[in-house]
Amino acid sequence: MSEPNTALKKPVSVKKVILRLLLYFVVLDVCIITLYPYFAMLCTALKSRAEIFSPNGTVLPITALWSNFIDIWSRAPMARYMLNSVLIAGGSTIIAMLCGIPAAYALARMKFKGQTAFLGVIIVSQMFAPVVLLIGIYKVMLSMGLTDSILGLIFINAAFNQAFTVWLLRGTFMGISAEMEQAATIDGCTRVQSMMKVLLPVAAPGIVTTLIFIFINAWNEYTVALCLISTDGFKPLTVGINTFNGYNIIEWQYLFAASIFAIIPVVILFMCIEKNLVSGLASGGVKG
Amino acid sequence: MATLNLKNIKKVYPHSGDQKKAKKKAGEPEKKVNLQVTDEGVVAVQEFSLDIADKEFIVLVGPSGCGKSTTLRMVAGLEEISGGELYIDGKLMNDVEPKNRDIAMVFQSYALYPHMTVYENMAFPLKLRKTPKDEIDKRVKEAAEILDITQYLDRKPKALSGGQRQRVAIGRAIVREPKVLLMDEPLSNLDAKLRNQMRAEIIKLRQKINTTFIYVTHDQTEAMTLGDRIVIMKDGFIQQIGTPQEVFDHPANLFVAGFIGMPQMNFFNAKLLCEGGRYSVSVGGCTVELSEEKQKNLAAHSAGAQDITLGVRPSHMVLAKEAGNTLAATVEVSEMMGSEVHFHANAEGKDVVVIVPTMNAEGEHIESFRAGDQLNLTFSGNVCHVFDKDGKNLEF
Repeated sequence: MSEPNTALKKPVSVKKVILRLLLYFVVLDVCIITLYPYFAMLCTALKSRAEIFSPNGTVLPITALWSNFIDIWSRAPMARYMLNSVLIAGGSTIIAMLCGIPAAYALARMKFKGQTAFLGVIIVSQMFAPVVLLIGIYKVMLSMGLTDSILGLIFINAAFNQAFTVWLLRGTFMGISAEMEQAATIDGCTRVQSMMKVLLPVAAPGIVTTLIFIFINAWNEYTVALCLISTDGFKPLTVGINTFNGYNIIEWQYLFAASIFAIIPVVILFMCIEKNLVSGLASGGVKG
Repeated sequence: MATLNLKNIKKVYPHSGDQKKAKKKAGEPEKKVNLQVTDEGVVAVQEFSLDIADKEFIVLVGPSGCGKSTTLRMVAGLEEISGGELYIDGKLMNDVEPKNRDIAMVFQSYALYPHMTVYENMAFPLKLRKTPKDEIDKRVKEAAEILDITQYLDRKPKALSGGQRQRVAIGRAIVREPKVLLMDEPLSNLDAKLRNQMRAEIIKLRQKINTTFIYVTHDQTEAMTLGDRIVIMKDGFIQQIGTPQEVFDHPANLFVAGFIGMPQMNFFNAKLLCEGGRYSVSVGGCTVELSEEKQKNLAAHSAGAQDITLGVRPSHMVLAKEAGNTLAATVEVSEMMGSEVHFHANAEGKDVVVIVPTMNAEGEHIESFRAGDQLNLTFSGNVCHVFDKDGKNLEF
C-alpha cells in the first residue's frame, strides 16, 4: 500500500484562511463604496421623474425607462456637447504632446544650466488648483479674445496637462537606453531622425499612456469651461449636462443618463491604458 | 578600410555648477578619482596619439575609468573632442557628424532597435543611405550568412539570446561596409562560454571583412587574442602601445606588467647591482645576472645600481631542487588547475604566485606541495623585469 502524498496536499492554516477572508471582505467593501455611486446613477437614469421623487421609492427602478437615454439627445444638444468635448480634449492632447515630447526629450537627454530649477518650476506649476488661477486665466483669455471659444479651452487644457506630460515622458525617455539613439546617429540618422525613428517608436507605450491620460483629464475638465464658456454651442459635455439642472427643476433621470454617456469614453480609454499607466508611471521612478 | 591618425587627443568634461561650488569649499583638490582635474574640468583622456594602419585591429584596454570608451566615442563622434586632431583617411574629422564619418559601432548593450525585426535592424543603415531595395536585401542576407543568423531575420530582438543579439549588432555594423568598425566591450554582457565562442567568431569575421577595427575591452585575454596592437590605458593616459607579445615580454611600466598576464606578475623589492659593467639583480638570498639583451638596454640608459621593483611572471618562476642562490617562499594556498598547480606563497613579505605543471613530459606526476611547505624559487636573468622606484621599466 502506498502512502498518501502529503507533500502535494499541504494543509492550509486557519490563520491564512481568516486573513484571506478578511482581505476579500476589505476588497468587497472598497468595490461597493467605489461602484455604488455609478450603480445608483444607472438606476436613477432608468427611473421616471415620478419614481425618483416617490416616497416609496426603491433603489432599483420598478420599470426600466431606457427611453431616457434616447430622450436626452432631443432635450439638449448632446451631440454638439460631445463634439465640443472631443475637439477640446483631442486638441489639447495634440498640443500638449507636441510641446511635451521635445521638452521631455531635452530634459531626459541634454544637460543645460538651470535644468534642476526648470524641473522644479514645472512641478510647482502643477501644484495650483485651476480655481486659484481662474481670474488670471480669464484675464489672459480676455486679452487674447479667446473667452467663450473652444480654442481657448484647448490652450488652457493643454497648459494644465503640460507639466504632467513632461514629467511622465521624461521618465519614459530616461528609461530608454541613449545608446540606441547613438547607434541610430552612427547608422545615418540626424538627431531629429533618431528621435522620430527610434526613440518615439520604442517609447510608444509611454506616449500612448500619457496621451490617453491627458485626453481623460481634458475630457473631465469642468471648472474653467464653466467660467469661460457662455454660448451653448461651445459648451463641452461636462458643462452641457448642466442643462438638465435647471433653475426650477432638476431632471435627475436625464442628468444621470447624460452623465453615463459622458463617462463611457473615459472608461473605455482607461481600460486601454490601465496596464501601461502603471508601468508608465513606474518607469519614471527607476532608471532602466 | 581606412587609416586613422589620432594626434594629441584630449577630452575634458567641464565642471557642473555643483562641482564648482564643492571645489571652492574643498580648496581645489588637484586629483579626483585618479583623473586630472583642471580649471576646465575633469580630464578623461589626454596626450592620446596613435596612428592606425589600414585593416589593422587595434584594442584599447585598461581598467574602468581609464578613458578607453571615451576615446572610442570621440572617434565615433559621440563625444566632442576637447583638444587634438582626429584624421580618418587623412581627412580631419573633429567636427564631422557621426553619420558622415563612415564608421560603424557595436555597443556593449547591443543597442538594437526593439521595434524592428532582425532584418529591419540590419537594413536600417542602408535604408537611411537610400540604397536600392535589392541591394539592401543582398547585403543583409550576406551579412546574416557570415554571422549565421539567417534563420532569425524575421524575429524581433527580444526573441533572441544575448549571443544572437550581439551577432545582429555586428551584422548591422558590417552590412554597410564601413571604413572603420568600432566595438565597445561587445562581449561583456555574455557569459564566459559564449564570450570565448564570440571571440573566435570576431577573429573569423576579421578575416572575412576588409575594415579597420578599434576594439575596447577591459579583458586582457580579449586584448591579447584579438589585437594586432594593444593600447594599454590608465587614468586617461596611454601607458604602452605594442603587439600582444611586445607588451607581454617588455612591459613599459609596473602598471602594464601587472595588468597584462594572468595570473598577475610577481613583484619584489630588490636591488639592481652593477659590478664591472655587468648588471645583476638581488632579491632575498638570490642574485641573478641579467641576460645580454637586458645588459645592453640598461647600459644604453645608463642605469646605475639602485633599489628597484623586480617583476617575474608566475610561469617564469622555477622551483629549485635545493636551497642556495634561491628565494625562500612558504606555500599558503595551492590551486589545482588540472594541467598545472598555482601555488600562492609568501616570499620576502610579498605574495607570490608560482605555476608548476602537474606532470612532466613523460607523464609522471611532479611532486606537489601543501600549505606551510617551503619552496626554493629561482628565475632566469632574461625573463625578469626591472622597474625603478617610479614604476618605469629601466630598459625603456
